[in-house]
Amino acid sequence: MLKKRLIFSLLYDSGNYMLSRNFSLQKVGDLDWLMNNFDYDSIGHSIDELIILNVGRQEKNTALFCKELRKIAGKYFMPIAAGGGILSLEDAANIILSGADKLVLNTALFEMPNLVSRLVDTYGSQCIVASIDYKQCDSSVYINNGSKKSDNTDLFEAVKYVEALGCGEIYLTSMDNDGTGEGFDLETLKKISLITKLPIIAYGGGGRYDHFVKVYNECNIEAAATADLFNFMGDGLMETRRFIENSNIPMAKWDIDFFRNNHG
Amino acid sequence: MSVTIVNYNMGNSGSVVNALNYLGVTCEISSVPDKILRSSKIIIPGVGSFRQAMDNMRRMNLYDAICEAVLVKKIQILGICLGMQLFTQLGEEGGNTKGFGFIEGNISKFSEQINLRMPHVGFNSVKILNKDSLLFKGLETESDFYFVHSYRLGNSECPFIHATCEYGELFAAAVERDNIFGVQFHPEKSQSNGLKMLSNFSKL
Repeated sequence: MLKKRLIFSLLYDSGNYMLSRNFSLQKVGDLDWLMNNFDYDSIGHSIDELIILNVGRQEKNTALFCKELRKIAGKYFMPIAAGGGILSLEDAANIILSGADKLVLNTALFEMPNLVSRLVDTYGSQCIVASIDYKQCDSSVYINNGSKKSDNTDLFEAVKYVEALGCGEIYLTSMDNDGTGEGFDLETLKKISLITKLPIIAYGGGGRYDHFVKVYNECNIEAAATADLFNFMGDGLMETRRFIENSNIPMAKWDIDFFRNNHG
Repeated sequence: MSVTIVNYNMGNSGSVVNALNYLGVTCEISSVPDKILRSSKIIIPGVGSFRQAMDNMRRMNLYDAICEAVLVKKIQILGICLGMQLFTQLGEEGGNTKGFGFIEGNISKFSEQINLRMPHVGFNSVKILNKDSLLFKGLETESDFYFVHSYRLGNSECPFIHATCEYGELFAAAVERDNIFGVQFHPEKSQSNGLKMLSNFSKL
């Protein structure tokens, strides 16, 4: 049986990790802060996948981002998706070489469809995650870190569009729920899950254990992500996983002691 | 003599290296035929299209070297995901393409009738059919591994299937024939379950 996926998203900007609320960013701390305030190993052993996004609003420094990616990717034995500012084949190649298994694309989807097609040809559909940011009120879609409204497409068209482009997964972000910790946008997720066969990762609003249980139970989707650094501090992700398991939701199991025994 | 991870410009060999390093296994990424023929074990990772992969194998003069290593020198080989698929006779991805033919079977898309999300992404439970399997030593008979693929080796296609997985239908999760081992999932991305399996392979 296919298991549900619990995913953590790290939002990176010029050396620091960020909290995002409705797409406005607040600096939290650097990699050292992250390691000191999270049981760093426990993040890696509590989740099914990690997403690392370069969310800086200024010109993004891909070289620096890749350096950070290398520091993180080598430690974890799970899939890692990364993106933010991928605007060329070279950006994509650098991110893959730095340890990412999947590329997360947003602005390029709508502004550089030829690049997307070439990435699909080069790395395969399973490597390309389409990140779509939307607002609930009119199902409008935004690009450039939520700063620019797409005139050409609404959410439903965008989903069909990225499917036709050959993307292999959709990372669906409710801009209204982002960082609120008030739960996922279940209504939209239910609708979108019916119009596409692509795997969907729900994002935006996941702040408590039961939010995940709700989204897995009520929407026909397999994956949900949070970037909420504060609500899941310490061993919060481990606790979340336990809570989801105890709610009779099928989650993958592995032997955490193996890591302790192997490397103290 | 060490484990050689074949680089044929398909997908990311780096994460397999990370996993082996973590386990303390010496390994090297190489696309040099002589190097492959002199290694103690061979791993073929890979994601992407079957046709592109076989094209690269031939263009980079790896096809003959791998055949000789596996069939004549009997070096133990592990194919991961696309790597496993290449061991079969034929792949449909990107247009019908001949594989290495080490084991029977064709690689085709999951049936369209399956009303499930595609690609098949995430951890899924793998049922280990051969309880004495050395590759799965120390793992439960049903263990979770990470999959990401749209093409598969159907369960009835090949007599060498040693583990199965279900996604709307049964398909091959692992194959084994003499010195030839293949897994459809990604052990390097499957937390401790995958690391255990890679450790087993390195100790064979």
